[in-house]
Amino acid sequence: MTRVFLMALLIVALGPVFTGAAQAADGKALFGFYCAQCHGTEGEGDGPNVTGDFPVDPRNFTETAEMEKISDADIRNVIIDGGPIADKSPMMPPWGKTLTDAEIEALVGYLRQLCNCTGKTG
Amino acid sequence: MKTGASVFPALVLLVMTSSLARADAAAGQAAFESSGCQSCHYTQGPATEKTIADQLAKKGPELWYAGSKFQRPWLETWLADPQPIRPMKFNSVMEPNPGGHAVLSADQAGPVADYLMSLRSDIVVDGAVKVKKKNLKGKLIFIKKMPCSGCHQFPTKKKFSGGLSGPSLIGAGERLNPDWVLAYLREPKVFKPVKMMPVFVGVLSDKDMKNVAAHVATFK
Repeated sequence: MTRVFLMALLIVALGPVFTGAAQAADGKALFGFYCAQCHGTEGEGDGPNVTGDFPVDPRNFTETAEMEKISDADIRNVIIDGGPIADKSPMMPPWGKTLTDAEIEALVGYLRQLCNCTGKTG
Repeated sequence: MKTGASVFPALVLLVMTSSLARADAAAGQAAFESSGCQSCHYTQGPATEKTIADQLAKKGPELWYAGSKFQRPWLETWLADPQPIRPMKFNSVMEPNPGGHAVLSADQAGPVADYLMSLRSDIVVDGAVKVKKKNLKGKLIFIKKMPCSGCHQFPTKKKFSGGLSGPSLIGAGERLNPDWVLAYLREPKVFKPVKMMPVFVGVLSDKDMKNVAAHVATFK
């Protein structure tokens, strides 16, 4: 009985860790497929589309200080509606009709890993 | 009687022409299969990809709607002298396209083009896009309002511009069927359920999609 209880406790305790890892893995795959084209495979804003013709600098997600200034909601909104929703360039497409809510959340989580920051709250 | 006399030869010619086309398509299918094209291109629709992994497992673009997507003269020429369409390798974000697509002989290119042109999607509406010399609304959407130019190269007065991750649209006016471009914008997941390009359904109006397709059709 005690053993069963301890196992249950372990599962409850480690659940969020495993869930977090799965989300990060999905976020990384999604980022590599959709976002790296412009933001680069490491998220440094240097994807293959950023040629001399590209009219703006895609955000470098590893710049912690800059990423701290924006909230998860800000990130979510730009992913869904594109750059213009935050007065940024239309070169950032609206992905709201492409990605599911869960995929968008996974991406927000992955960007927070890249910046190693939590961002503005509220 | 006079009318019947002129209609009969025309009918015979029509039957003979369509029989020849079918024969060429059959010969083309045989050449397509014996050349190993199927190892990279699937020709049976509908699309079945469900995940990013499914898409990344593909070695080349699907061809099950090739006859709706391409223009035949371009296709035959390209099969005999294939030049890279994508600046980057298929399904790769960072690796440049090394080229080296298999080349078909002049004898094979025609029949294979016939075969590929026989592969059609019934959601592509013939004549839906009216192509003119210019479509300024489409141009504005392509360059300014939407991020199309961020991923697709396109011709400019100087030479060309645009990003590298998507297929180049230089020469798209000769390569792509504008009606397919519209169908792809309208119902992208029918053709490519999982793709690096955003879905613009609900973002662009149907009219704007037509304008974009008409603008792409002007690309030389």
